[in-house]
Parts: sequence; C-alpha cells; structure tokens
Amino acid sequence: MATTPSAAQRASHDFSGDTLREIHLFMRLAREWDLRFERLLRTGAIGKWYSSVGNEGVTVPAAQAIEAGDALLTLHRDSGAILRHYLDPAQIFPDLFSAERASGTARRLVEVDSGELLFGLACQMLGREPGFTAGRDRSYHYNLIRREAGLIHVGMISHIGAMIPVAAGMALALKQEGEGRVALNFIGEGGTSTGDFHEALNMAAVLTVPLILVIENNGWAFSTPTNEQFACDSLAQRGGAYGMPGISVDGSDVEAVLGVMNAAVERARRGDGPTLVEARVSRLRGHSESDDSYKLVEKAQAGAVASTDPVELLERRLIEENIATREELTQLAERCHELVLSAVDRALEAPEPTPESLSQSPYAK
Amino acid sequence: MPSNPESLPEAGTLTYLEAISLALQEEMAKDESVFLMGQDIAEYGGAFKVTRDFVGEFGKDRLVNTPISESGTIGMAVGAALLGRRPIVEMQFADFVSCGFNQLVNVAAKMHWRTGAAVPLVVRLPVGAGAGAGPFHSQSMEAWFLHTPGLKVVAPSSPADAYILLRAAVRDPNPVLYLEHKSLYRRLKGSVEIEKGTDSDALRCGVARVLRQGADAVVLTYGRPVHAAVEAAEMLAADGVSIAVVDLCTLMPLDESTMLEWVQRTGRVLIVHEAGLTGGFGAELAARVADSAFAYLDAPIRRLAFPDHPVPFHKTLEDGCLPSTETIATALVDLVGW
Repeated sequence: MATTPSAAQRASHDFSGDTLREIHLFMRLAREWDLRFERLLRTGAIGKWYSSVGNEGVTVPAAQAIEAGDALLTLHRDSGAILRHYLDPAQIFPDLFSAERASGTARRLVEVDSGELLFGLACQMLGREPGFTAGRDRSYHYNLIRREAGLIHVGMISHIGAMIPVAAGMALALKQEGEGRVALNFIGEGGTSTGDFHEALNMAAVLTVPLILVIENNGWAFSTPTNEQFACDSLAQRGGAYGMPGISVDGSDVEAVLGVMNAAVERARRGDGPTLVEARVSRLRGHSESDDSYKLVEKAQAGAVASTDPVELLERRLIEENIATREELTQLAERCHELVLSAVDRALEAPEPTPESLSQSPYAK
Repeated sequence: MPSNPESLPEAGTLTYLEAISLALQEEMAKDESVFLMGQDIAEYGGAFKVTRDFVGEFGKDRLVNTPISESGTIGMAVGAALLGRRPIVEMQFADFVSCGFNQLVNVAAKMHWRTGAAVPLVVRLPVGAGAGAGPFHSQSMEAWFLHTPGLKVVAPSSPADAYILLRAAVRDPNPVLYLEHKSLYRRLKGSVEIEKGTDSDALRCGVARVLRQGADAVVLTYGRPVHAAVEAAEMLAADGVSIAVVDLCTLMPLDESTMLEWVQRTGRVLIVHEAGLTGGFGAELAARVADSAFAYLDAPIRRLAFPDHPVPFHKTLEDGCLPSTETIATALVDLVGW
C-alpha cells in the first residue's frame, strides 16, 4: 500500500490560487518565526532552538487539511503547523486576506484571537510568565486545549515517539464522540524506530481510529543517517504492514502534500481509519542550532539541498502561475517579519516567571 | 459479576474481586465517558474475570480489547483522558506495567504540572505474590511510582476499600494507580459492609484506617500484609501485648497525621510491606517518622519487607520470603522488648 502520488494525481488537485496563497503565507510566517529565534539564540536571549526551516512545505499543508475541532499534536519542527492551525489570515493581515477569502477553503478556524495566540506562543518559546506553561517547560513542550474554541493542541515531551500513542488515544476519544473529528500527529524518521511508533500504529489500525501520522523524513536523526536508522526502502511501506495506507510524498511539493493530506483526513472522517504519510524533506539545519551536527549533514549532502527549500519553490511557482508577483511576495515577507518581530519583542518585555509558578500542584483538583 | 443489577450480590457478601467489579460497573453505568481498556477484557472478561459479562451490558466500544501493548494502551488512555474521557486500563498482571512506564511517569504524571491539563486515568494493577507465579507475575512495584509526583497510588486491603477507592480513583482528575492484590481476590468475602451506591462526595482518598488500637507498638502497613498484621496483633494480645495496626489504604496521598498520631501514642513502629526492602515505600515512611516523631520513639524504627531479590517461583521458597503472621509477630516481640 506504499504509494507515491503521480504527477496526474497532483495536477488533478487543482488547488485554487487562494489556497496556495494562504499556504504560502504560513510557510513564510513560519520561516520568519524560526529565523527570528535562530537570531535570538545567537544573541544569547534563548539557550536552545530546534529549527523548522525546511519542513514548512509539509507542516503547513498538513495543518491546512484539518480544521478547528480536530486535534493537532506536534514536535519541535512543526512551527508551520502550529501557526497555520492557530492563526486567522483575515485577523493578522486583514488588508491581504479577507474573511471570505480565508473561508474560501471551507476551513473552520479556531475561535481564539490570533494576536493573543501569537504573543502567548512567543512567551512560551522564551519561557516567560504569560507563556502556556509559565516557564515550567520549554519551547514546544506545552498543551493548549480550549475545546469551546475548537482548539486542541498537544505538544511534545522529549521522549521521541511517546506522543504517538497519545495522538491515537485522542483519535479514539474523537471517534467515541462521533463528530467526524480527526487527530493529526507528526514524527521524525528517527522516531519511527521507537516501540511507541509500532504500538500506536498497530493499535490505531486495529481500533480503526481517525489518526493521520506524518513522518517528516529529513534523512538525519541528530547525526544518524537513515541507513543506520532503518533498512526498509521507504517508511511508507510500514503503513501496509499495519494495515493502513502508507503514502510517500515529496515534502517540498506543497500541492502534493495537501492532496495526500486531504485524502487521508477525508478517509479518517469517513471512519475508515488511520493513514501513515512519509514526507521527504531536506535537512537544512542542525539537530538543534546549538550543536555541530549540520557540518556532518552538509558534507554528506554536498550542497544538494539548495533547490529543495520549500518556501523558495512555492514562491517560484506562485510567480510562474501568476498567483503573486515577486514584489508582493517580498512585501509579504516583510510584513511577516514585522509581525513576528513585534510579537517576540513584546514577549521579550513580558515578565520572567516567578517562583509562584512552582505553586502549580502536580495534581489536578 | 452478573450484569443484571437485580442479581448483584447483597452488601456484605462481596469478595474483593466482586467489589472491584461492582465499582467498575457502577461508574460505567453512571458516566458514559468511563470506558475500559485492556487485554482480553471484553468477551473473555479479563485474566481474573473482573469484567466477566460486562460486554453484554456495555458493548465493545466501552470494553476495548487491546493488543499486547502496555505503552500504547496507557498512552492512548492518556490521550483520551486529555479529551475528557475517563479510561480505566487493566494491566493483565501489574508486572507488565514496566512496559508502559514512560507513558505513566513522563507523559501522564507530568502533564498537569507542565500544562494544567487534567488526566483522569486509572490503571488497575493486579499486584503481589502468594500464588507461586514466579518473578514476572508476582511483583509489588508501588515504589517505582511513588517517586514520581503527579501519580496517585492506592492499595486497598479489603472489599470495602477496594470498592470505595476504585470509585474514588475513577472520579479523580489525576492518574491513579490502583494496586489490587491478586491473592485477596477470592479470599476475602463477607467480612465487611459494602458502602454500595456511596455518593462520590463520601468517597475518600488519602485517609488511613486504624484497624486496631494499641499501646505498645504500631504496625504501619497496606495491601495484603494488613491481614497478617491484624492476626499477629490478635495473637500477641493473648500474651498481653497491645499492638495498633494502621492500614494506610492510600500511599499517595498519604495520611501522615493518622500515621504519626499512632507513632506518638505507641513509641514503637514496625513498617510492613510485601514490596522489596531497599528503596521500598517503608524507607520513606521511616524517614517521615524519624523527621516528625523522633522524640516520641522508644525504639529504632523497624521494617519487614520482601528480601532484595526477585520473587521465587516455588511456593516453599516464596512463602518464606513474604511477611506472615509469624514473622510479623516475631518482629513485634523483638520491637516491644527493645
């Protein structure tokens, strides 16, 4: 059941210019987000950063395929999915994206103020008091569950693979609720070697739960290449082994990813069960930006990655298809940069956590 | 466990196992969000038949048979709990929970403190030795989890507490490890009045039971050894030795005030558990007694626990390792004579 979408299948998706513009917006925004934090790392304002640069072509279209009410579970290279799921284009850039236009994709958006979410997210990244964990846990290790607003987001713990069963369990609960909601979870290719990956996918298939697991295969787990991680030809093959579709897709081709994701989400909503998607991306950064693993990766890749930057590829396509001009894209990049800058600057002014944060009991009342 | 409520056993006639079944059944009937996950729990009714006949009443959507995947199962239960479901996971034997350790200590336990989210999850753990079942079907592993803030740990010793503490665990917004001792399943019957249909407000967690009052020494214990401790105290009473027995019932939260009150009243403490000695919960109890009641002690704090090796298979070997009426009585005589 491991398949690769053909060119004909991709062409048949025929996504509207509006959809591609919206996807581009969040890819660019995610890029600016990561560049900002990479810069803050160099200035010493943060101690560590795991960059999403290079993964935006997967994470944004994947999150575009779900909507408010669905569950999103992310890792540390998924800023694109988080920003896409949290933010309303019409709220952040009302002059560029009208409400009608945003809803032209028929997506239900989470009902939380976009500015509030972006500020909270920035505070969380910086460990500030208004962050989602008030300094008790780092960066993307948080939850934001506001069901009345359609927002269900569960972040990671450091034990890679551990959240896949949790995602499957959220999918089980959504199935029990019977509203056709789905759970979307991400994992790196290194995480496919864990026992939890196996147990969760097997259980998801046996229990027919609405889970879509996206493997972001960037070829390297820290410094371990795929040939030292697994011996199968494609991780998509594992889907068939568990009794679910396994689809491999070029993660720098956003239309291909969106097509695959839409089909997987639709299948899950129908009650037909989980799908495993392997999206191949380039490793454009280190494991974290504080280690030198990228030297090894860069040497092995020998410069072969320059043409696979998903943001550049999409921008080229938007210009070729007359969906946007270079000037518009440059302007949008500046607007995204400003938006990130102002949210992060505001967060940098936000208070550091006080010891009161520790009064949070480990036990719920 | 009959599924027809009219054929439920009368109060006071339940075994420990039936009390567990009844609590599960009542919580499932009361709350649609309660569901069970575990190996062989649906049609088969579970390895110990705790959920026998449940599937007819509640259906397979609420009796989720799982593959042999403890980590996957506990992880899925955490995910469902995050969305407001109330999953109860049955480990076929408590020993197998080690395969789900990370999901409990890192995912479930830390969730509320990190993120504020509630994880209303119960993991039922058939614990303990006594059946000649060997090193992998006989362990008592409460200490593994008591070192992890965020988890609650309860260990009922009687049908009444088995019922009350399980219902309290299901109502609790936290992950609760429910230690049910296998050798008590069918051994205890009709010995207590079941507080059937107890209102959830009255369900208590964190309250110890003083099973015997006494003046010369106190036994602090929980789970199966409670019964041997009471027998030993009765035995010694005939010789004029007066022993108090405190059944802790819940280990986290711990009823420290009841425990310390009886330490102060008696001045001599014997801590008994079936789990291993080194790093066992008794070490924590001893430390707390020493911290808070040192001035009241007339003798060293003594511990009686399983030796520091795995639980042996052969019944004769196993029996010699378990705290018994005789070994408890001997330890008490020694303690009182100190």
